[in-house]
Amino acid sequence: MLQTSNYSLVLSLQFLLLSYDLFVNSFSELLRKAPVIQLVLFIIQDMAVLFNIIIIFLMFFNTFVFQAGLVNLLFHKFKGTIILTAVYFALSISLHVWVMNLRWKNSNSFIWTDGLQTLFVFQRLAAVLYCYFYKRTAVRLGDPRFYQDSLWLRKEFMTSQPPKGSPSDQRM
Amino acid sequence: MRADSGARLEEGHLRPPRALPPVPSQDDIPLSRPKKKKPRTKNTPASASLEGLAQTAGRRPSEGSEPSTKEPKEHPEAPVQRRQKKTRLPLELETSSTQKKSSSSSVLRNENGVDAEPAEEAVIQKPRRKTKKTQPAELQYANELGVEDEDIITDEQTPVEQQSVFTAPTGISQPVGKVFVEKSRRFHAADRSELIKTTENIDVSMDMKPSWTTRDVALTVHRAFRMIGLFSHGFLAGCAVWNIVVIYVLAGDQLSNLSNLLQQYKTLAYPFQSLLYLLLALSTISAFDRIDFAKISVAIRNFLALDPTALASFLYFTALILSLSQQMTSDRIHLYTPSSVNGSLWEAGIEEQILQPWIVVNLVVALLVGLSWLFLSYRPGMDLSEELMFSSEVEEYPDKDKEIKASS
Repeated sequence: MLQTSNYSLVLSLQFLLLSYDLFVNSFSELLRKAPVIQLVLFIIQDMAVLFNIIIIFLMFFNTFVFQAGLVNLLFHKFKGTIILTAVYFALSISLHVWVMNLRWKNSNSFIWTDGLQTLFVFQRLAAVLYCYFYKRTAVRLGDPRFYQDSLWLRKEFMTSQPPKGSPSDQRM
Repeated sequence: MRADSGARLEEGHLRPPRALPPVPSQDDIPLSRPKKKKPRTKNTPASASLEGLAQTAGRRPSEGSEPSTKEPKEHPEAPVQRRQKKTRLPLELETSSTQKKSSSSSVLRNENGVDAEPAEEAVIQKPRRKTKKTQPAELQYANELGVEDEDIITDEQTPVEQQSVFTAPTGISQPVGKVFVEKSRRFHAADRSELIKTTENIDVSMDMKPSWTTRDVALTVHRAFRMIGLFSHGFLAGCAVWNIVVIYVLAGDQLSNLSNLLQQYKTLAYPFQSLLYLLLALSTISAFDRIDFAKISVAIRNFLALDPTALASFLYFTALILSLSQQMTSDRIHLYTPSSVNGSLWEAGIEEQILQPWIVVNLVVALLVGLSWLFLSYRPGMDLSEELMFSSEVEEYPDKDKEIKASS
């Protein structure tokens, strides 16, 4: 069973990382006095996303659903979050590499091309969606139903498994 | 604990005739406490004592750990005990004091489930909790709420005997018909017999629930974010309107004074763009939360039904895309230098060509944001994701759901 204090701690860490992400996405363009500042901000931002991915997977592993072997059910339920986080991570890294590459010599130069603008729009949109889905998942994982055997879980198990599910259940 | 049990072991050897409960009964004591009593009385003292002797080493320490269930049951063997009562006073004192402790905590257990016990009790209660999981919960729940006959001291002999040990007077206890149950942060008196009936229907999970669960934490965080979102909706609408007013004022009549706009606005353009993104992101997330965007079928259905909240989130998303698409122009304004300066991004006649669409997009964003704010304020309390996430699939907590809906 998930402890309330542990969950609060993990949730606040996740929200801290999310808000850092949002902050950098919003204000990184302003903080470009020196290219190094942006570089450090970007590196920490990507690390934060990576940490968030690790944390959410650790939370998955901690659920009763996962420990009961219903990995599929869990991943099916949160596939949006997982895919979106991965996409956002890839977009972020590519945008950061591109921007840093162009700005490294002169941080105050005008670097925008149509390609960069497009990537920028997609990255920022993905950031918003990532933030929404990640927040939703983190909050949902606080539901005690994920940490105990319940009628709901059994029902989900029956629906997620075809009729041959019962023998595999016994094997487990 | 170890030294204590050793001392007791020796004591046990000194007094062989004392009847000890048979070991197998340890597992199913809480299962059917009232039923267990009868077969136990049939145990002949001799056989029991033999068994007791053989098991003293194992039994004695655990006897201290389960005083509340065991001690009352020794009453049927009272004739055997009473002879030795005086010599066993220290032991008796110890066990009965723990009995007192556990009986005082049993009230707590009834209301909040097992987890609400005091910390010191948790160690003692461990073996009981283990056995609890193996049995049907309804039965257990009913047993816990019911008044056990042994708990009520009816014959006046025992208190009189113990008067010498306890300084506090022990009156005759009697069952109270009421149980106080916490519902929606208030204690209500409920009839014990009624409560037994209702709790029989409640699932196993209710038994183990502490008062402040992870679910509550999640709900609190969710509501806190909704509040931040509510703030950002209004703030964003105000900001966008202010921005477009400033742009039009600086641009002059019929956008005649664009160079003035550029010179005045260039310090403001990028910070505002950043702030706009931050607020738009917050508002979009909050609006998505309200329609539970992750359940796309529900969201689309709401949108097609022209639900104001669904419309608002669509408008926010559109505004976000439009605002992001102006990043390039904003940076260009930010790096504005008059065309006379060498290496300027702004050539002589290009200003209007760039600024015209930028102003229009800003106007549209302001309109969208303002409209969304109006739509959202039409139903400010609506929050589908709270309803769907925290209650739709929860058949196990029917009471809790009503509570949430009532409070929201």
